[in-house]
Amino acid sequence: MIKVNGKKHSWYEGMTIKDLLKDVNNSHLYAVVRINEKHISRPYFEKTLVPDNSEVFLIPMIAGG
Amino acid sequence: MAEYKMESLKTFNYDRPVIEKGYANQTLCIDISDGVISIKPVTEKMKNVFIGGKGFDLWLLWNAVNSTTKWNDPENAICIASGPMGGTPVYPGSGKSIVTTISPLTGSVIDSNVGGYFGPYLKFSGFDALEVTGKTSKDVVIFIDGIDEKVQIFKASGLPDDSYTLSAILTERFAKGKPRNISVVSTGPGAKNTRMGCLNFTWYDLKRKRARYKQAGRGGIGGVFADKGIKAIVARWDTVTSKTNNPANANTLKEVGRKHSREVVELDPKQNQMAQIGTTHLVPIMNDFDLLPTHNFQYGQHSEADNIGQEVFRRIFDPGYDGCWIGCTLACSHGVKDFVPLTGPYKGIKVFVDGPEYETIAGCGSNLGIFDPHTIIEMNFYCDTYGLDTISVGTSTAFAMECFEMGLINETHTHGMNLSFGNRSAALEVVHQMARGEGFGQIIGRGVREMKTIFSRDYGADPDLMQDIGMEAKGLEFSEYMTKESLAQQGGYGLALKGPQHDEAWLIFLDMVHNFMPTFEQKAEALHWFPMFRTWFGLCGLCKLPWNDVVPEDNKDTQEPAKVMKHVEWYADYYTSVTGRQTTADGLIRMSEAVYNFQRIFNLKMGFGQREHDNIPYRAVGPVKTVEYESRAERYDKQLVEKHNVDITGKTTEEKIALLREFREKLYEKLKDAVYKRRGWTNNGIPTVETVKRLGIDFPEVLELLRAHGVES
Repeated sequence: MIKVNGKKHSWYEGMTIKDLLKDVNNSHLYAVVRINEKHISRPYFEKTLVPDNSEVFLIPMIAGG
Repeated sequence: MAEYKMESLKTFNYDRPVIEKGYANQTLCIDISDGVISIKPVTEKMKNVFIGGKGFDLWLLWNAVNSTTKWNDPENAICIASGPMGGTPVYPGSGKSIVTTISPLTGSVIDSNVGGYFGPYLKFSGFDALEVTGKTSKDVVIFIDGIDEKVQIFKASGLPDDSYTLSAILTERFAKGKPRNISVVSTGPGAKNTRMGCLNFTWYDLKRKRARYKQAGRGGIGGVFADKGIKAIVARWDTVTSKTNNPANANTLKEVGRKHSREVVELDPKQNQMAQIGTTHLVPIMNDFDLLPTHNFQYGQHSEADNIGQEVFRRIFDPGYDGCWIGCTLACSHGVKDFVPLTGPYKGIKVFVDGPEYETIAGCGSNLGIFDPHTIIEMNFYCDTYGLDTISVGTSTAFAMECFEMGLINETHTHGMNLSFGNRSAALEVVHQMARGEGFGQIIGRGVREMKTIFSRDYGADPDLMQDIGMEAKGLEFSEYMTKESLAQQGGYGLALKGPQHDEAWLIFLDMVHNFMPTFEQKAEALHWFPMFRTWFGLCGLCKLPWNDVVPEDNKDTQEPAKVMKHVEWYADYYTSVTGRQTTADGLIRMSEAVYNFQRIFNLKMGFGQREHDNIPYRAVGPVKTVEYESRAERYDKQLVEKHNVDITGKTTEEKIALLREFREKLYEKLKDAVYKRRGWTNNGIPTVETVKRLGIDFPEVLELLRAHGVES
């Protein structure tokens, strides 16, 4: 089990960020995700595994300086 | 503590007006040449057209200077203002000041926004804006005491030159036991000896019991300040509450302020965590998307970038509340406690460093090939205390380093200094030399535009190559984002009024990552709406971060998520609740349009503000050198083939660079056409008579200026 934006979400072995975003509406708007304290950007969504018990935050559009 | 003397030269007593709906309704004018202090009224017309903040500054500056005024002429004015909502403690990000002057770097109008308490304290002391003209050979301190209702000019001697200690001494000197009542504006020795001086604006940190500061960094305003002979300007004010602005509707203000504050408190920890790590989260993100400038904007990525990202600074920053204005819940002004510099006058001494933020990390770090947080923090500390803009220092040093590595300059020119990328001690030495006005640091301190002239004229360096790799436009150094793959952001920088600074438009992600604006018309629309809305914050005394760095959870499901319209509507309510003037989201854009177009025309008055002045170096548009092209050959080859229908078989890298350049430069010109049209400007980038009439800025002097440039109805 993981938490996504504070809500419980099912987890399975081998789940990537790309897999997780398939369950999210308008997921194309997320270019960055934070897993616990680490930011992961879209170029790495496909190869980054989501660890069990992790807390995932979907970061809204990056707004810059 | 240093021994110093302050002798009163002039005391001006006044009756402090009651603040009415966010306005003091008067401005303070000080001519330091002869110590004349006067008060000018703020008219209803001024409020209707210019709103406040940057708008008031520009109007005062327009009337102070003529078309031939140079940055160091006595009539050049330094104008500082907050805005009608500035000083509101119940709404996040409501303590900003804006400073304008004629810039030593650009020769035209510069504006720079900054946190700290000064702007609000100035207003509550009875003045919507401050205008300082004249010059003096003495070191003077100006003291605006809103509690005792007097303005004083002191002749100072023995005060330290550097801003870090000076801020602390003057805070203590004027506080009368209440240091939170004081805000000090000052600069340092680097401002005297370079063209890139900044101003430090203090705020008092109650927990850490010290004056801290934020910077009005861009365009060399600190140099104007130092050239005038001003050591510091100090404001003193008392307790601030939601009623201090005497808002038109206190209940609505409290309600909308509470909504936005609560949202920041709830969502920032889930989103960018700016209350913990400031803007350092941008470092790894920009790096991942090939947008973090490295080695003078040649590349957007480096394998060591994580060494200077948020994970490192999360551990380094001193935890605690870091709001640069009272009550701000975003509170992103983090700092490093007990830092011990390895070089310079503070070598071996524990200091508190305000920062670093993303721009400083990228400018004084990755762009110089430096991936060591200690060096970046030390450069941050010395740039601030010497009164130097970390962005211009970073971008200028990066240019010099690339010239050095390419052999355009050598150790004969640098006085024996090895200016290779990644040389940490050389980068720090450059900063110290800037402060002392010595050596090659003094040359770098003149900025990229002047370095190009010096290197070509005196050292025989190739001017065309330097034009391509020297990252300045309008004379201002680029801030720290890569734009090669975002045409919209090329426009965001190139079409910005003061030069390439991101505070006007930051469209990289919307354009490059999200592809929200595939057509020229969509890019032009974005290059209208975003600069206008961002301008509005500077009219009102507000920080833009609470607008779109924390967004509602349902924002992504709205029609235009990039605009965060729920917050825009809150800002309209906020404006109405303070000023009593009814407005809407569209009304905010309309307010900015008048000031924005006026500033464009101000550039025209100073000899700029036309199409040719919106050009940018090719490094901002595409790869200049073969190594740049070849490092991303797959991307560029694909674009040539698929986007431009080029058969690249058998073509050399040099040939492909030339072809890509031809295509990309044409696109940039086409973008200018589209944006000028959308903004209501001529094809030469000048507002039309119809536009200035629509916006109510059709003053006789404006129409005469347009006529002189062939623009008539």
